[in-house]
Amino acid sequence: MISLKRRLSLGLTFTLSLLILLQWALITLVIERVTETQLLERLESESEGLLASIEIYPDGSFDLNSLRLSSLYQRPFSGHYFVVCTEQSCKQSRSLWDESINIEQLPSGRKLQSSMVGPNDERLFTLHRGYFKQDHSLTIMVAQNISELHEDIFQFQMLYSLVSAIGLALLLFIQWLIVGKALQPLQNIQKQLSRLRKGETAKIDAQGPAEIQPMIEELNRLLNTMTRKTQRSRAALGNLAHALKTRLTLLNQTAEHASLKNLPEIQASLNQVSRDMGQVIERELKRARLLGSPMPGQKVELEHEIAELSRTLQLLYREKSPIIDWEIEPGLLFFGDREDLLEMLGNLLENACKWCRKRVYISVYQNQNCCFVVEDDGIGCVESELSQLVQRGFRADESVPGSGLGLAIVADIVESYSGEMLFSRSSMGGLKVEVRLPLII
Amino acid sequence: MRILLVEDDVQMGPTLQNALSQAGYAVDLSVDGIDAEALGDIEPYDLIVLDLGLPKRSGMEVLQNWRSRDNHVPVVILTARGSWEEKVQGFKAGADDYVAKPFQTEELLARISAVLKRSSGISGGPLQVAGLQLDEDAQSVQLSNGTQFTLTGTEFRLLRYFMLHPGQVISKSRLTEHVYEYDSDRDSNVIEVYVNRLRQKVGTDLIQTRRGQGYIFGSA
Repeated sequence: MISLKRRLSLGLTFTLSLLILLQWALITLVIERVTETQLLERLESESEGLLASIEIYPDGSFDLNSLRLSSLYQRPFSGHYFVVCTEQSCKQSRSLWDESINIEQLPSGRKLQSSMVGPNDERLFTLHRGYFKQDHSLTIMVAQNISELHEDIFQFQMLYSLVSAIGLALLLFIQWLIVGKALQPLQNIQKQLSRLRKGETAKIDAQGPAEIQPMIEELNRLLNTMTRKTQRSRAALGNLAHALKTRLTLLNQTAEHASLKNLPEIQASLNQVSRDMGQVIERELKRARLLGSPMPGQKVELEHEIAELSRTLQLLYREKSPIIDWEIEPGLLFFGDREDLLEMLGNLLENACKWCRKRVYISVYQNQNCCFVVEDDGIGCVESELSQLVQRGFRADESVPGSGLGLAIVADIVESYSGEMLFSRSSMGGLKVEVRLPLII
Repeated sequence: MRILLVEDDVQMGPTLQNALSQAGYAVDLSVDGIDAEALGDIEPYDLIVLDLGLPKRSGMEVLQNWRSRDNHVPVVILTARGSWEEKVQGFKAGADDYVAKPFQTEELLARISAVLKRSSGISGGPLQVAGLQLDEDAQSVQLSNGTQFTLTGTEFRLLRYFMLHPGQVISKSRLTEHVYEYDSDRDSNVIEVYVNRLRQKVGTDLIQTRRGQGYIFGSA
């Protein structure tokens, strides 16, 4: 699953970088073009100036009016040079000193711009131009050293690149902040969801942006509906059980009626029917109300629940007053339905209390599973009976009262949590029941 | 022994009341939570059989209210749900025992008898005090010399009350309160007649009269 933040960041980084790069390229290009145009214009006007200062004599020789020449052409290697040629001779600026540049004749009206290497390895930008003056054709070349100019442009480009890079970094940082800020509500929702899963809260409180808010509301509504439905169906099941069981009790009382005193077989069979029906109702209703996978929004404090259960069992088995010890891995929380847990541990512990001599031990720990181990110091069970223990109504010892339903109900609960239940012999002597429920993260 | 039976089912309430009366208890029947709570606070019941699914006020709440007012009358809970959550809650609220529906009357009677004995500080098993052994099922008494007498309903109720409170001075009005139902005609002179009949069966020394105070059973 690709992260929204990653995707937004990548997209923004790409477009911003592209934009900055394009701008950088454009600016660089424009600067170069503008410089070149200006240079050309200047050289052209120089060239025109030179043309104006040329005096051609009738014999074809010519002279330059040095007064009208810029001092730049007088100083040796000043970086500004010219060469003027007619068909017969050429003259070059004093600044060229002992260097000489050969130029080819250009017909009048032609222009040629080029770059070349000049004296002292200077980079020269040159303009050749052909003129026609006083019946003589002549060619003027003006050149300017552009090494420094290039250096300036290069420096400007470096500076500009640096500014662009810093700007880009700044923009990226700002957009990263913006994306983070924009996605903050999603992170809150994520946190809330994980709290919901752990059962620390019953609904999502976080406010989301307009795009997400409907989803949150829908989720809350679903949660609410689910909780209500569960409660309603549990209440309905409870009512059904109440009504049916009350009727069964009435049936029992009818069977005890004085007029049936002399018909013990009928009494016995009525009692049997009511007992069987009672068991079917008990097991099926408990099965029906099992939630299977735990709903979000529930957290069970094991230590507290086990302590309460133990106290209840000690009251139920007051005559025996079994000693119930427990050991619970610190910080362990059971993420499931509290009622399921109570039903499971209640039945296991009652079984243990029923069979123990004096001691019952329960330990809860966590590895890949949440494990509950219940042991007692009773006489235990022979190997061959261990596998039969979970069958409905199976009673290992008929002389001890009980429906034989307890372990079958536990088996139903364990199954609905996709866990497993193992029976073995405890080191304390009695039965050891180990229930492993997968952890739901 | 006087019992308050709180059961809202129109058929089951009277049937159960009848069964309990036959077992020698004076039984008042209440059909809703609010009425039951008031009765439980006013009348000196020896035990209350409380159904949890009651109209107007739930049995659990009624029990919690009694206990919060230091009313420590023994309570046996009747419930159809039979979930462990409810059991835990019930005992936490202060119940003394718990019977899940559907039950057979004899099971309920056994639990009631056990809770009564426990609340009188007597250990389990058949009720044996001062050489007398009371058979609660047959409603008969066996003397230390082995002779056995069947008891009439009121005699049985009286003797059971005496045997559950040995060595205590019990006034005639207290006897009346614990032996008769709420709405029955209470004449304390009738008690004298029954006590005398009982003396003829179990021996005059066992039940002594304290003038102006009442009776005392067993060794003083």
